[in-house]
Amino acid sequence: MSTTTPEAPATVGDSRVNPVKAMLKSDRPYTVFAALIVLVVFFSVLSPVFFSAANFANIGRQTTLVTIMAVGMTFVIISAEIDLSVASILKLSGVCAALFMQNFGENWVLGAVVGLAVGTFIGLINGLLTTRLGIPSFLVTLGMLGVAKGLAFVITDTAPVLIDNTAFFKVFYEGTILGLPIPIIWTAAVLTIGGVLLHFTTFGRKVYATGGNAVAARYSGINTSRVKIYCFMLSGLLAGVASLIFAAQAHAARPDFADGLELDVIAAVILGGTSLFGGRGTIIGTFIGSLIIGVLNNGLVIIGVSSSWQIAVKGLIIILAVAFSARKR
Amino acid sequence: MTEAKPLIDMRDITVSFGVVRALRGVNFELHPGEVHALLGQNGAGKSTLIKVLSGVYQRDSGDVLIHGEQTQFKSAQDSRESGIAMVYQDLSLVPTMTVAANLFLGREPHGPLNLIRNRGLVSKAQAYLDEQGFPVKANASVDSLPFAYRQLTEIAKALMGEIKILVLDEPTSALSAGEEEILFEAVEEVTKRGVGVVYVTHRLHEVFRISDRVTVLRDGLNAGTFETADITMETLVQAIVGPGHEKMTQSTLSFEEGQRRSALLDASSEQVDVPPVIELRDVTNDRLNRVRLKVRPGEIFGLAGMVGSGRTEILETMFGLRRTVEGELLYQGEAVAWRSPAPAIRSGVALIPEDRHLQGLVLSDTISANVALPQLRGLTKFGMFARRESNRRAKSAVSELNVKAPGIVTKLEDLSGGNQQKVVFGKWLTPEPKLLLLDEPTVGVDVGARDEIYGIIRRFAQAGCAVVVISSDLVELEMLCDNIAVVHDGRIITTVHTSEIEGEEGLHQLVQESAR
Repeated sequence: MSTTTPEAPATVGDSRVNPVKAMLKSDRPYTVFAALIVLVVFFSVLSPVFFSAANFANIGRQTTLVTIMAVGMTFVIISAEIDLSVASILKLSGVCAALFMQNFGENWVLGAVVGLAVGTFIGLINGLLTTRLGIPSFLVTLGMLGVAKGLAFVITDTAPVLIDNTAFFKVFYEGTILGLPIPIIWTAAVLTIGGVLLHFTTFGRKVYATGGNAVAARYSGINTSRVKIYCFMLSGLLAGVASLIFAAQAHAARPDFADGLELDVIAAVILGGTSLFGGRGTIIGTFIGSLIIGVLNNGLVIIGVSSSWQIAVKGLIIILAVAFSARKR
Repeated sequence: MTEAKPLIDMRDITVSFGVVRALRGVNFELHPGEVHALLGQNGAGKSTLIKVLSGVYQRDSGDVLIHGEQTQFKSAQDSRESGIAMVYQDLSLVPTMTVAANLFLGREPHGPLNLIRNRGLVSKAQAYLDEQGFPVKANASVDSLPFAYRQLTEIAKALMGEIKILVLDEPTSALSAGEEEILFEAVEEVTKRGVGVVYVTHRLHEVFRISDRVTVLRDGLNAGTFETADITMETLVQAIVGPGHEKMTQSTLSFEEGQRRSALLDASSEQVDVPPVIELRDVTNDRLNRVRLKVRPGEIFGLAGMVGSGRTEILETMFGLRRTVEGELLYQGEAVAWRSPAPAIRSGVALIPEDRHLQGLVLSDTISANVALPQLRGLTKFGMFARRESNRRAKSAVSELNVKAPGIVTKLEDLSGGNQQKVVFGKWLTPEPKLLLLDEPTVGVDVGARDEIYGIIRRFAQAGCAVVVISSDLVELEMLCDNIAVVHDGRIITTVHTSEIEGEEGLHQLVQESAR
């Protein structure tokens, strides 16, 4: 992308700039937020059931997996890479955790640690293959999508792995804190930690610089390979977190769950204003993007759109949103 | 110069963008066989004028007469059909294809069954290139060509058809001193056949080398049109900069600069043992061959040579981007083996790279974020990014370096070239570097900002920093440096003290001789 020097004298940031245009051009996700409001109003008008506290809690619970994984994906995409393997990591982490709990007794903490470790480890492999061998992450993680999913089927013999551990269910899905369902607490925690990490730490600055211009980052003394590896590991770790919540919800880990979930995750991140070319994006944007996906999934069911149409409508809305955000650049 | 009908006659052109009046009544004329240079600082209106000529912008008022006829170009296509060819800075060739395939892209000669006749393509292209007098092989792949020859291919492509007017927009900005000649000879060939050339440039010596006339624009107005033979560098600079900038020529050094130079001279004449900041002892690697050099604190050391001579690789080796295979790299008297820029930066080495867009800046990020990049380690408190301290540094960099921007959260992509370059310098202000490496620090920077950058470089040296500068602009090197090494083929051919060189020509000769 070549940048032409503007001939006109510096009038950038001039007070005459139209505030609406400035908002549309801003990296802050005003437009996505507006889109979310429009969707909520739309479904509320069509169905009285939609606009209720109970349903919003529903949406929150249903969006948990996408939101948590989208936070990790935001780091990966801002660093100018992509992770297509998140849904497969979720399967493999989940069944590893469940198998551990099935075979080694009651210790759910160790089981959870195993699940998280598996996810992080696969992220590490993704990162190493991408940076050390220089294979585009699109291909590395496409391959990993198959490898992790295949392994999940192999070690479970394609059968669901049942979990029978009340404490585990409570910690990851069924409990409440201050009246809030625990999945929402997990989502809030991941969003907060992710937001602080991206926006308030030195590591966050490195992620933006690596994705914005890897050469300039390297020339500034940043180890861009390491930054990317950490991003993939974070994505893997958060897929592991999601797998535990998922397993606690289903009382089992199943290798055939969550197929295609990576598309919802990537869509949420892109809807939230993160640039596929790297260097731009926010956690709050990703959160709003996930809510849009969640509201769509929930609202379409409530107003009685058939599940076949739901898939098509969701795809269409994503294309429109991305086309819109591409136009403003 | 013939006073026949001019090829271009632009009269009283005005163009506005909203409230900004980019052109306020500009006149410009071009005769057949003439090279007419167009000069001016960034924002003076050069590009706008060229874009009116090429149909990209529409004028608000005024007349454009091409071959004596009134015209109103609505698109680049219209302009092309009137016989005007533009060659832009950004190359429009497909690098993986041959010169011939590029020349005939989209209009390849066809044989039976409508298949492309490759052999015919090459011979046809070669005949055309020979006829133009361009020394380029038609069957060469474009990415195998040195940059100057790619540019010739570009010009050859632009000239295909009934072209009478050629517009070159900063054609030498990516070329080294030696390569320029190739381009100039091609331009001379072109003018012999009656083609008029509009030559937009920032480099004044080129104006004297190649143009017949010069038009200078300033603030959207004509600041004068001169016969090149009748003017001096000083008059030209004055016309570009306007009144109130007489200091421009740098003929008078500041008091501090004079002090720095005499202190340096004293130190060397009295054999005072000032240890060098950086010393290369027979450093050899994949691109360098037994390179030896020393730079002391406060010294400005120049590296001259053609593009591809190994100049940049010497800097890269000093910055940890290349390994030292044989020989020793001593930093502050100690042998070091840096394997990435990070340890070099921690030890106080700073690099202003050649390509600021590619290597120097994150354009999508703010001034503040860019300035913070090399010092993130020092800007971390309890794992958190010290935003306030970072903003404070960015603010002081903006004011110290006179960056013209609305604020420190302005994105780099919204700044002009000169201001972007100042931000690259801003990355290395705190903590003060001990060794500053500069690769072509003023490429694509207008005359005014260029002068400020010289001032910045000198201030670093005055503060005791050792500075190494690469430049293809030999005048610049001679003006800035205390010592200059001429590099060729990964070796240092000779090192001279600037006082031993007789003007730009002397240095030019050294560089030319080294290449033989």
